[in-house]
Amino acid sequence: MALLRVEDLAVRFETRKATIHAVNGISFELEQGETLGIVGESGCGKSVSSLALLGILPKNGRVTSGSVRFGGRELLELSDAQMREVRGRDIAMIFQDPMTSLNPVLPIRVQITEALRKHLRMNDDQAREEAVRLLQRVGIPAARERVDDYPHQFSGGMRQRVMIAMAISCRPKVLIADEPTTALDVTIQAQILEVLRQLVAEERMALVLITHDLGVVAGLCERTHVMYAGRFIETGTTSDLFARPRHPYTLGLLKSVPRLDAARKERLEPIQGVPRDLRSLGEGCAFAPRCLYATDRSWEETPPLRDVAPGHRVACWNPVPDADLPDRGAPEGEAG
Amino acid sequence: MSVAEAEAAELSLEDQSGLWRDAFERLRRNPGAIAGALIIVAFAAVAVFAPALAPHGPNQQVGRLAAVPPGPSAEFPLGLDQQGRDVLSRIIFGARLSLLVGVVSAGVGLTIGMVLGSVAGYFGRWVDTAVMRTMDLMLAVPQFLLALAIVTALGPGLVQIMVAVGIANVPQFARLLRGSILAQREADYVLAARSLGAPGRRLLLAHILPNSIAPVIVQGTLAMATAIIDVAGLSFLGLGPADPRLTEWGKMVAENAGRLESAPHLVLFPGFAIVISVLGLNLIGDGLREALDPKLKS
Amino acid sequence: MFKYIVRRLLLTIPILIGLSFLVFVFVRTLPGGPGIALLGERATEESREAIERELGLDKPLVSQYTTYLGNLVRGDLGSSIVTRRPVMDELLERFPATVELGFAAMLFAVAVGVPLGYVAAKRYQGFLDNASLFGSLIGISFPIFFLALILKYVFAVKLGWLPSIGRMTVTRSLEHPTNFYVIDALVAGDVAALTDVLKHLILPAIALGTIPLAIIARITRAATLDVLSEDYVRTARAKGLDPGIVDRRHVLRNALLPVVTVIGLQTGLLLTGAVLTETVFAWNGVGSWMVNAINARDFAVIQGGIVFFAFIVVVTNLIVDISYAFLNPRIRYS
Repeated sequence: MALLRVEDLAVRFETRKATIHAVNGISFELEQGETLGIVGESGCGKSVSSLALLGILPKNGRVTSGSVRFGGRELLELSDAQMREVRGRDIAMIFQDPMTSLNPVLPIRVQITEALRKHLRMNDDQAREEAVRLLQRVGIPAARERVDDYPHQFSGGMRQRVMIAMAISCRPKVLIADEPTTALDVTIQAQILEVLRQLVAEERMALVLITHDLGVVAGLCERTHVMYAGRFIETGTTSDLFARPRHPYTLGLLKSVPRLDAARKERLEPIQGVPRDLRSLGEGCAFAPRCLYATDRSWEETPPLRDVAPGHRVACWNPVPDADLPDRGAPEGEAG
Repeated sequence: MSVAEAEAAELSLEDQSGLWRDAFERLRRNPGAIAGALIIVAFAAVAVFAPALAPHGPNQQVGRLAAVPPGPSAEFPLGLDQQGRDVLSRIIFGARLSLLVGVVSAGVGLTIGMVLGSVAGYFGRWVDTAVMRTMDLMLAVPQFLLALAIVTALGPGLVQIMVAVGIANVPQFARLLRGSILAQREADYVLAARSLGAPGRRLLLAHILPNSIAPVIVQGTLAMATAIIDVAGLSFLGLGPADPRLTEWGKMVAENAGRLESAPHLVLFPGFAIVISVLGLNLIGDGLREALDPKLKS
Repeated sequence: MFKYIVRRLLLTIPILIGLSFLVFVFVRTLPGGPGIALLGERATEESREAIERELGLDKPLVSQYTTYLGNLVRGDLGSSIVTRRPVMDELLERFPATVELGFAAMLFAVAVGVPLGYVAAKRYQGFLDNASLFGSLIGISFPIFFLALILKYVFAVKLGWLPSIGRMTVTRSLEHPTNFYVIDALVAGDVAALTDVLKHLILPAIALGTIPLAIIARITRAATLDVLSEDYVRTARAKGLDPGIVDRRHVLRNALLPVVTVIGLQTGLLLTGAVLTETVFAWNGVGSWMVNAINARDFAVIQGGIVFFAFIVVVTNLIVDISYAFLNPRIRYS
């Protein structure tokens, strides 16, 4: 049985003017130790999905349907207090901006140990020792001296390491990383991803990596789900998706990523148009207005996810044919 | 005006009208601001049309002299004072002085403060240092005390009080303008206009000052509110208009503070006139602040 | 941290010198100059010259200023023309009353304002939020003397719950080693006196504290709203912490930072209010002392009062800045 099974999850936000359909029925499964990438443009609902899993949506957001089963329990039915036992202990999260995600007035020791004390009932000394060990684990030099420092005394990359130390402190079974490297320098990004890769391998944690950056999933995730307008539009193994993208949107994403190995001076091709307005659900494929492959049916009927190959599913009435696939090798640093 | 300048000016004007239109929209949806505006319009109308609205003259004796004057009645809705004058009429005429005092005091502070602040912000260097350090010093003395000290120096009286409260307001406006100018000087559209060759002085007048207007309007409204309160306070301490024929709400409260037990109407009605007019200004100021700067929710 | 305090202390020196200059200029702009100011308008030419010589007013301005500064540093503020006593002596007698009242008012403002603003923010746009916003707007719209008069009228005169004037029932005897009556009563261990003193303190403190309360509530509300939407609060919730801990440790601690600054800024307002409140409640502090001096044109006392108030403002800002540094590690370690 899957460790985490999300089914038909939908989230809406009520604003003064309109209802925002942020997530419109997504499903996925996660086994122990598995790594899953969720890729999409900003605003496609990928972060909201993770907040919904943890039950920490902003006040005006609510889960309108679906189920989240974790270890045999339905998380959406838990009480607040029961849910707090799950958060940080079974499912932990790393956020995008380490500059703002740490409390500026508390030493990092306090911030790392508060989960240890709540979930593992450690006393002060144990928690402190554990904090030092965790900081060493994520590669912070002189951890014993720095454990009492404040966030502003660390660089961005070091702060993200602190965030990771915090998230893994109770050895969660699922780690959700929401754009963990977006706010960082390119050189630091690789280091942070390496820390994550090692931790996930050593601890047998399942990882959900949320990003807009295909390069990041390429190096880290076995499977990838592409999200658009609150729905998954293509799911499969990362290598399949990179080699044979079937959804025009996935193809567009791939074409808009610069490649180091581009032998010919390939031009980057941005995806035309803007993401769909999420205020109305409407019928038809949400990507149709931006799509070169759209047919009449795309405008009238929402395409469901369908198998196009074993383990490779696409929500498209007119998938990209082989002939249109660019001639490109497997992405560098592919997980395997 | 060169083409480049004209375009830059047009750009910022477009910005502006958009800003104002948005602000007006937000203001219209804010019930507090509307209530405030209604209050102030009503008070202003009362002040302007006082002779027509007031049933009697402010100093006209319509009842008997009495140590304990009669309270509200059908004939005199807000009662009489101990000299037999109609309280309602006095409050109506008092609106003139109180609102005038608010406008003039805030105007004095705003004008001097804007000039000083613009000069400091525009010239920078030692001019900035000299002006702003003086302003800091003035800010170290609480505003009302500063006004109190200035009135003491100038002697009591209506003009003196307005000047004193106005001067006490100067540092706030100077700071506001300077801060705004410093921020705007580095703003993208100013850099753009400068790179297009617009001369410095015109930049200040055409771009920087108009864009600093929003916070000045907010501060101006709130300064009027404070000015009315401060003038009333100075009046209460006996530093108000010496001429007994001049009717001012603060003075009415002050003169009758000791009769609160025997004739509460003499204190409460002019007092609440102050509260309501100040509340009106505060409501507008608050609404304006929210409308002009949606990020500021306080 | 130590360095920060030293630097902050050194910064107050130019401010104090500047302030003394401001007061110096003020005294010299008084109608007829300080001689007339001291002697009154009916003074003869000879006596005016005599006193100006005595005060060194015939000397060049620079040496006048240095003399004046020297006197100020020694605590010599001249003598009152009404009582003929040194201004400093009277000031020392009276300032505890004002400080006690100001402290009580601030205590009231913080104790009510902070929770009010916090709860309002937690119930953003709810009834309580709107009510407290509107209420605080009414609060800052009241002239303080009018509020004081109403409080006195309702609670002292009509209901008779609390005394209407003074710091203590006149007939009560109590030693006054410190002139802070609350402390004096505590030192004497006199419970009845303490209750009496506290009862006298309530109405003036509420009158004086209402405006700061309104402002503090508004700032607390705004700051809490800001902090509630911060990423680190989401982080804290993602750890599964109890809401109480999230609120106390992560929200409130950060939201209070701007509040501390505002409390400092309110001191000036508080002292201003003291002038008017003390007048209404016949409170024997620096404020009522100054008002009497203004009416008597007792300029030495007025000058003393202004110096005292400005000094208090400078000192409070110093204390606030230092405590802010204690609360905010970003300043402490920079």
